[in-house]
Amino acid sequence: MFEQAISAMASVIVDPYLLGLIFATTILGVIIGVLPGLGATTGAALLLPFTLTMDPVHAIAVLATIYVSATFAGSITAILINTPGTSAAAATTFDGYPLAQKGEAGRALGIAVISSTVGGIFSVLILCFAAPLLARVAYEFRSPEYFALTVFGLSMLASISAGGAVKNLIGGIFGVWLSTIGAERVTGIERFMFGNYELYEGLHFVPIFIGLFAISELLVQSKTVDKIIKTVSMKAVKLPTLEDYKKIWKTILRSCGIGTFIGVLPAEGATVASMIGYSEARRWSKNKKEFGKGSIEGIAGAEAANNAATGGAMVPTMVLGIPGSGTTAIILVGLMVHGLRPGVYLFTEQVEKVYQIFGSMFVANVMFMLMGLYAAKLFARVSLVPTQILWPIVFALSVIGAYAFQGQLLDVWLALIFGVIGFFARRHGFSVAPIAVGLILGEMVETNLQHSLKMFDGAWWMILTQPLALMFLVFAFLGLCGPMIFSWITKQKD
Amino acid sequence: MKNIYLVPLILSIFSLAVIAIALQLDTSPEMIVGDSMQARSFPIFLMILKLILIGILSFQFYKNNPKPIALEKYHTWGSMFLFLLFYLLTVYTDMFIGIFVVIFLMSILWGERRIWVAFLTATITPGLVFLLFDYVLKIRFPRGILMNLYYG
Repeated sequence: MFEQAISAMASVIVDPYLLGLIFATTILGVIIGVLPGLGATTGAALLLPFTLTMDPVHAIAVLATIYVSATFAGSITAILINTPGTSAAAATTFDGYPLAQKGEAGRALGIAVISSTVGGIFSVLILCFAAPLLARVAYEFRSPEYFALTVFGLSMLASISAGGAVKNLIGGIFGVWLSTIGAERVTGIERFMFGNYELYEGLHFVPIFIGLFAISELLVQSKTVDKIIKTVSMKAVKLPTLEDYKKIWKTILRSCGIGTFIGVLPAEGATVASMIGYSEARRWSKNKKEFGKGSIEGIAGAEAANNAATGGAMVPTMVLGIPGSGTTAIILVGLMVHGLRPGVYLFTEQVEKVYQIFGSMFVANVMFMLMGLYAAKLFARVSLVPTQILWPIVFALSVIGAYAFQGQLLDVWLALIFGVIGFFARRHGFSVAPIAVGLILGEMVETNLQHSLKMFDGAWWMILTQPLALMFLVFAFLGLCGPMIFSWITKQKD
Repeated sequence: MKNIYLVPLILSIFSLAVIAIALQLDTSPEMIVGDSMQARSFPIFLMILKLILIGILSFQFYKNNPKPIALEKYHTWGSMFLFLLFYLLTVYTDMFIGIFVVIFLMSILWGERRIWVAFLTATITPGLVFLLFDYVLKIRFPRGILMNLYYG
């Protein structure tokens, strides 16, 4: 197994086509990452239709490369124009921009590049070792355990960064309900189709995701057309000095651990990881006063954590079929579309493909480091593309991408409708990621609940007698009610 | 009623409508369903959960009294109107005519003052995307005025 894994990962380096693809996608990912509003999730949603005719490994490598490179690239604009290219880079602005204003933009970018690369590579290594181990544990899972696990995954939506807990859960339930549209799988009874037989197999993820992420973002961006961007000038990216390394190595290592752990948690992602990475860097720092004024520890803490979350988020996605973030939800759809069923099967029957994907992520991390070091200045210029040119192009890519998936105009209308729904949801403080995650997990929840009920002759409480299932349900309960109970106890003590 | 309660109200109406529709769904014979659940049960369960959460959300609004959200500028509403225009143009003329018109008008609406830039964006983008999908990905586009000329 180990030998097979190493040779599969090494095969990425000797495959010129795949290398070229990763190189081109890294450039695209960095461009997507530096364009404010067009983050990894929107980029992956737009690119998904383009991967349909590709080989499965190449397709997933493209999506994973977009994920890691766009997550890093958000830091370029966060540092140079005080606008995070992606939400995961929001914490980088706290110290990145102040340092750039002091005339040290090159140094800030150098720290961001190195921290992101170390975080990314660390998480890929953890992914390589943790994923097969978790897959072995998951081998024991039956319907009650999968049901409890998906409930746990849905409960974690409560803690997604954007929106409040209640709003996120409402979004998640709406997403699960969307998954019930179409013919019910056991009985074949048509649900919420209103005579539209194109919906017989249910709503497909691709147009819905294009709508929720790309079209809704277009409408959100329409509110910022008058925004004037101020840029900070920069000569070249500077590699950190020995002094810098001495100051930040502990922060980077801590953030690597935090980011990977947060990424592994279902429904958590790079944004939460970077915020926690930043606040932990501040908590442990000897120079707390520097934070917010251009601390290199702050940049390193946020950047190492957000890129470490990318590999972490791939663990539940590939092993359990539970996405770790909005972007991994799209990668999960990519896996399904290409017939790579996430779970134990993937790690027993298609080990080579899995490790080729991991190898691609490793290579992508190295490539974005080189691009960050030698071409960040050039990429920063891309962020100045006028919104009135960029977003109409995104519109064209969205509608054609939605159509191309199944060759149905209905998918285009669905993308537009869900774009408008997503926009209004965001307008009222609801995040769209829970809807996407709910849509993916919905079928798993219902099917596993049905199987569990059959297993226990309708006695649903028997699910609680399964130790692993009980553990996940307890985690779900703690995830939902823990913060409330904790604050109540604190109030009582006070 | 304050307009902050409009969201919980709309969500509640939606949930109740789903429950009402779910109650109209067919039921399957006992021998097929067995000890499992009817097709209607799961959506109804979801909507009841949602109604409970909407109740909590309304209580949060009552306690925190959030500020009403300001109405968007004309760019946003105009963009949504362009989606509608795209639908009409696609259905009655051609998808690529729809894309051309929407890109051109959206550029102008969003503040592009150079007509030729908007025109070039509206022409080159769908052109390149069409070439990519038609030649490389072998996707057949829906028939319309332009596609009939192309496919014959």
